[in-house]
Amino acid sequence: MTLAPDEDLMLQVRDGAGEMLGVLFDRYQTPLFNFYSKLTGNRTLSEDLVQEVFLRILKYRQSYRPGTPFRAWIYQIARNARIDHFRKFPRERAFEPDMLPPVRPTDSAQEQQEVELLHRALLELPEDKREILLLCRFQELKYEEIAELLGCELNTVRTRIHRALQELRKSFHQLTQGPALKPAGAAASENLPPRRGAP
Amino acid sequence: MKCEQIAELLPDYLQGGLNPDQHRTVDAHLEQCADCSEEVAVWRKLSLLPVEQPSPVSRVRFEAMLRAYQAGRSNQPPRNSQWRKLFSSWNVLGWLSSPLGAAAWSAALLAIGVFAGFHTVNPPKPPSPSPGLAQVEAELANTKQLVVLSMLQQQSASSRLEGVNFTTREEQLNPQVLSALLHTLRYDPSVDVRLAALDALSRHSAQPQVRSSVVNALQEQQSPLVQVALIDQLVEWHDREAKSHLEKLRQSQDLNPTVRQHADWAISKLN
Repeated sequence: MTLAPDEDLMLQVRDGAGEMLGVLFDRYQTPLFNFYSKLTGNRTLSEDLVQEVFLRILKYRQSYRPGTPFRAWIYQIARNARIDHFRKFPRERAFEPDMLPPVRPTDSAQEQQEVELLHRALLELPEDKREILLLCRFQELKYEEIAELLGCELNTVRTRIHRALQELRKSFHQLTQGPALKPAGAAASENLPPRRGAP
Repeated sequence: MKCEQIAELLPDYLQGGLNPDQHRTVDAHLEQCADCSEEVAVWRKLSLLPVEQPSPVSRVRFEAMLRAYQAGRSNQPPRNSQWRKLFSSWNVLGWLSSPLGAAAWSAALLAIGVFAGFHTVNPPKPPSPSPGLAQVEAELANTKQLVVLSMLQQQSASSRLEGVNFTTREEQLNPQVLSALLHTLRYDPSVDVRLAALDALSRHSAQPQVRSSVVNALQEQQSPLVQVALIDQLVEWHDREAKSHLEKLRQSQDLNPTVRQHADWAISKLN
């Protein structure tokens, strides 16, 4: 049995077969939830935003065009949902320190400790850098799709990914080498990127 | 080759998008450059970050949202078998009656309970609650209604009962929930659920359709227990218009004698 491509399912949703959205929800709720939770550090908000994405898909399903890669389309919606949310509730952008993964240098195995520190380093990155790393590393978007999503040139995407990775490396290096942990709230001080023209 | 030149190739290297020559060039650089090789190592380590799972309530909320959206879109009041048929076509009931679904309900109810409790203790202060809080409250109220609507469609009577009881916490019922409750009163296969629905509806007697539905239910119900409860309710409301319906009921040939006796008593009370 072969799985129906996302695009076919979305076309069925567009044409009125709403139950097919359940299949897409099963495929995308965990990746989307992880996109949001790694971006915001807030589980509750992440779940709310996932719901918002699927509500928007229903609302704007008529705007889905055949041939549009569904993954890129849904992340466009996901991105806009988050931007709209933080426009409405700017104060929620600040991280709570207890949302960061715990760091236990003495009682964890080395790899586990490294993963925790890396997670922490990721959360400390400025939001735009964290987002671009999440999009290409965890959401499996191609650079071309990210360029379309962010509204920039392909080469700009490459440069931004490299800069983000450089900064992540430095932050991770600092965390693994020295005890000086800087407050993570600084990560939330970036301005929001401009909203793109999709639902 | 310098780091700046490698930097141009590195993103494609990480995604395996370089040709073999370029790939070898980067590999050679990485062997000599600690910073660049550490960058690649950090990139690879990112895959070790745990994949977090959303809570099971997330799926429940999605199903409720989907059904509510579809029901709203069809823009027709829910009616008898069509209502149930519409909902049974969504493949969620099995999931919701599973242990995971039960856990999800519990979690949702707990969260809503905590919120409700919080607000009982700390009611929002007039005159101007923050717009953020108002928005969250509105969304929560909406979610509660969706949860109730979903629960009233469950196959398990105890779940439907829970859904009915849940509505009694609300001072105001949203029209969709009210409509679903009225439907439950008339058509639910379980006597217990119908009785609970009547009890829940009795709190909303100010709504004209509640009274008329209770009166109409009198003619439709076959269970003596429900009939007696309906009669009691009409007496409690001192609904004089119900008298003619009670007269009609007591004329029914196969009426349970206890119910007939109770109808007689009610007619005398309403005189």
